[in-house]
Amino acid sequence: MPIIQTENLTKIYGTGETAVVALDHINMAVEKGEFLAVMGPSGCGKSTLLHLVGGLDRPTEGRVLLDGRDLTALEDDNLAALRRRRIGFVFQFYNLIPVLTALENAALPLLLDGVRPAEAHRHAAEWLQRLGMGDRLHHRPDQLSGGQQQRVAIARALVAEPDLILADEPTGNLDSRAGDEIAALLRRISSEWGRTILLVTHDPRIAAHADRILFMKDGRIIDETRLAGTGEEQAQALRERMETL
Amino acid sequence: MRVQLMMALRYLRGRKLRTALTTMAVVFGVAVLFGMNALLPTMLQAFRQTVMAATGKVDLMFTSVTDGPFPADRVEIIQGMEGIAEVTGSLRRNILLPPDMASQAGLNAVTLVGVDPEVAARMRHYPLKEGRFLAADDGDAVVVSKGLAEKLGLAPGSTLTLPSAKGTTDFEVVGILNVPSIPGVEEVYVPLPAAQRLLEMPGQINVIEATVKPGVDRDEVEKAALAALGDLFKAEPPEVGEELIASLEMGEIAFALFGVMALAIGAFIILNTFRTVVVERRHDLGMLRAVGASRRAVVGLILAESLLQGVLGTAAGLAAGYGLAWVLLLSVKSVMQQYLRMEAIAPIITLPNLMTAVVLGLGATLAGGLWPALAAGRVTPVEALRPVVPGAYERAARRRGTVGAVLVVLAALALLTGNFNLAALGTLLFLVGLVLVAPVLVSPLSRLFGRLLALIFAREGRLAEGNLARQPNRAAITASALMVGLAMILALAGIVTSTFDGFMSYIDHSLRADFLLMPASLVLGGGNVGAGPELVEEIRAVPGVAGATTLRLATAAVDGLTVQVVGVDPETYPQLSGLVFRYGDSEEAFAALGRERAMIVNGVFAAQRRVKVGDVLTLQTPEGKREYRVVGVGSDYLNAKLVTAYISQANLERDFHQTADLLVMVEAADDADMAAVQARLEEIVRKYPSFVLTEWRSFREEQERVFGQSVSLFNVIGVMFALPSLLAMVNTLTINVMERTREIGVLRAVGSTRRQVRRMVIAESLLLGALGTAFGILAGLWLGYVLVAGMNVSGFVIPYYFPYTGVLVAVAVGLLIGVGAAVLPARRAARLDVVAALRYE
Repeated sequence: MPIIQTENLTKIYGTGETAVVALDHINMAVEKGEFLAVMGPSGCGKSTLLHLVGGLDRPTEGRVLLDGRDLTALEDDNLAALRRRRIGFVFQFYNLIPVLTALENAALPLLLDGVRPAEAHRHAAEWLQRLGMGDRLHHRPDQLSGGQQQRVAIARALVAEPDLILADEPTGNLDSRAGDEIAALLRRISSEWGRTILLVTHDPRIAAHADRILFMKDGRIIDETRLAGTGEEQAQALRERMETL
Repeated sequence: MRVQLMMALRYLRGRKLRTALTTMAVVFGVAVLFGMNALLPTMLQAFRQTVMAATGKVDLMFTSVTDGPFPADRVEIIQGMEGIAEVTGSLRRNILLPPDMASQAGLNAVTLVGVDPEVAARMRHYPLKEGRFLAADDGDAVVVSKGLAEKLGLAPGSTLTLPSAKGTTDFEVVGILNVPSIPGVEEVYVPLPAAQRLLEMPGQINVIEATVKPGVDRDEVEKAALAALGDLFKAEPPEVGEELIASLEMGEIAFALFGVMALAIGAFIILNTFRTVVVERRHDLGMLRAVGASRRAVVGLILAESLLQGVLGTAAGLAAGYGLAWVLLLSVKSVMQQYLRMEAIAPIITLPNLMTAVVLGLGATLAGGLWPALAAGRVTPVEALRPVVPGAYERAARRRGTVGAVLVVLAALALLTGNFNLAALGTLLFLVGLVLVAPVLVSPLSRLFGRLLALIFAREGRLAEGNLARQPNRAAITASALMVGLAMILALAGIVTSTFDGFMSYIDHSLRADFLLMPASLVLGGGNVGAGPELVEEIRAVPGVAGATTLRLATAAVDGLTVQVVGVDPETYPQLSGLVFRYGDSEEAFAALGRERAMIVNGVFAAQRRVKVGDVLTLQTPEGKREYRVVGVGSDYLNAKLVTAYISQANLERDFHQTADLLVMVEAADDADMAAVQARLEEIVRKYPSFVLTEWRSFREEQERVFGQSVSLFNVIGVMFALPSLLAMVNTLTINVMERTREIGVLRAVGSTRRQVRRMVIAESLLLGALGTAFGILAGLWLGYVLVAGMNVSGFVIPYYFPYTGVLVAVAVGLLIGVGAAVLPARRAARLDVVAALRYE
């Protein structure tokens, strides 16, 4: 059974003449442990898809199934609990709490879940170590570089040991070197720690790290490709594919 | 809750200045509430202790229910009663000392005690230092305390001159008592007949004291004695100085109200701050929701923050309040020592006061944080991760605007009903309504003011106007913070102006005679010694005097309400002076006063007992119950604030045994030589040291000056209200600049100079100031009108006067705050590093 499945997933913003169809009857599935990238030009609906899958927003029509369970039927509090325990988010702008340290930011989902601070901090420290942030535990976000902040955000996404990581343009705000590092880290999270990753990006070099890529345009999935070959070759192929969209 | 507290603490620490500024609002309110409540009971307690110390050891004490005098033969009723050992009647009265003697003695009044020398000496122990105690056959003899004798240089055989109904009376000092000086109360003992002569109260006493036989149940005897005396008497633990206690208690209530009002403003500032905080942190909040924080957790975070500020502010407020009480206490200490002889007092912290301050301080902050917290809980993760959809916002604003408009209309209707309670409720509706309507009005109003602003800031003005119109909600929040502060200032100005003009018109209408012979204390009953009929007769005989009229005074009770009864001459009083009538006709009313047992009641009386013209009320007089018909509702200047009834002097003499004149008004003839009249009057008054001759014009000027002094106190209060508004404006403007960092970066990138950016922020602030001022003036005028109406309902009638000066001040303060609030944010905006600003998120 796929970990994620969508059925006729549709999202329409506004009503009447000003209505905008962001997602148009999307049917897709993500297998457990898979690293899936969604690509497409700006405004194609890829971020909306991510938000619906993560239970951040509610669809106008259709369903999202997480391990066969319908997210759209859940109450707000249950959705929040689900996001705390089963899903980890990584955003383009990191969205760290500016007044908390790296360690506290990373521990946040556990703290919100009522885990004792000592234990939450121990767990968060472990993940920060693994992601190469062991010497920056007590720095505040404004004392970290963009790439470091994104690592803290990834540690936060992983700290509750969720099965599913949703990443929305995680390298969009980084220079190419830091972007590559983050992409490689995501690859490792999938291969080494077996997490399912759904990544939204328009950068072929980043998407080239994924197992499979969905191409979107105007709220619909128009193509799909499974990747093989070296990273650079894949990236070139993707670049060409994107140009045709 | 732990994680919310931790984050709240971090957020507060991360924004130290803002935390300090908002917390100050709470500190201010709590300090006033707590400090004043710690101070005033201290003064009350000290005063009560002082008074208690003065009453010696007698078992029973009876006075008339009116606190007035009664015939001395009432003593005989108790004399033979079972269980009574000794009984005596005495006449006790505070008398004000003439100024020169007062300064020499270091106190401005003494208590004259007229006693029956033989019985008194048996009932109380009077330890003598020198000389002897009073004897039955003494004439004008006096016994004073050691302390007073030292101050005035008295010894047995010397003379003590006291003010009396005949002018002055000389007493021969026969003895010096070896008693410790009782703080605040200096008693001088004279034989009862001498006291009656001095006070022009022949055959009258006002206290019956008795001791009971050993082994007898005191309470039983008291009950039996009371039954025998009849319902004109009451038994009481003796206490004097009730007027002062009453005014201190009034002060307590007034300051408590002021503190609560200040706290309400504090709550509003907290509300405003947290509303901006929620807007500012939309991304953070959305992220928290995204990583799994429930709505409740987010609400809890904002509430935890306001709670922490409440705890901080309340704690600091308690400390500041205690300090405030000390400072005030030290500043009034000399006055208290001089007039009340009270020393060594410290602020009292009572548990109820502490609890009230804590509960209200925390309550106000939590209440202020609640709405924003709930709003924060409604932030959805996605909403926070992308820009607001304008359509949805406008709909919400329009809906709120409609609700606000309905509230304003309801408030107007409530005001029109003329019912004070409804009008007061209406004021609340009005303020809430205005806050809700404000965002809808921001666009049109900022266009209007923007046009004016464009004259000074040609390009930046357009940008600033656009910025406000784009974020009408934010602009409205900021403007409403200013609105509340200005509304308070203006409402105060409204009351002050109306009271001031009202008082002056009272003087002009009810105390208008060329010359006034006033008692030393302006409150008629404040321990003044009156004058006998000789004084006014002598004055009437002065060449050039067209007429003179007098006021006399007694107290009565109506159904347990103590009423001050002022005796006027129905013939001469309306000619020379008169009352400001609210109901009834002046001519008819005074005619009725002369004809029958009729009275004119003042507004406070009418309001407290819902008295109408034509009602017949039963007054408890020293002679028993007497029915008086109400023939008018009106008041004079001196008695506007006290429950007062005006009756004829003939009735006052018949029912209250009062014949002493306490105030004389003198009208000179049109062709009189004013200087000569004044010179002659001065000569006469010299024989009556308890009176001061005042020319009407200088009296009016003096009153105007005294009033002006209290107005300056209101100015201080006004500043206190304005300061938090300034803080709130600085707060929101700073947040505005922070939020638009990227935008400012873009402006700079496309070629705006630092100066232009600075001017843009200032222009925006000025626009906000103009908006807030417009709202504030509207709300302030409304509030002031309702408050004046409220005073009128309570019977203290003053007409509403439009506070022109207040409006001008409000405009000036509003614009000043507008510019002042922009200084820091404008500098911050102008100094932004362009590249960093463009990257800012």
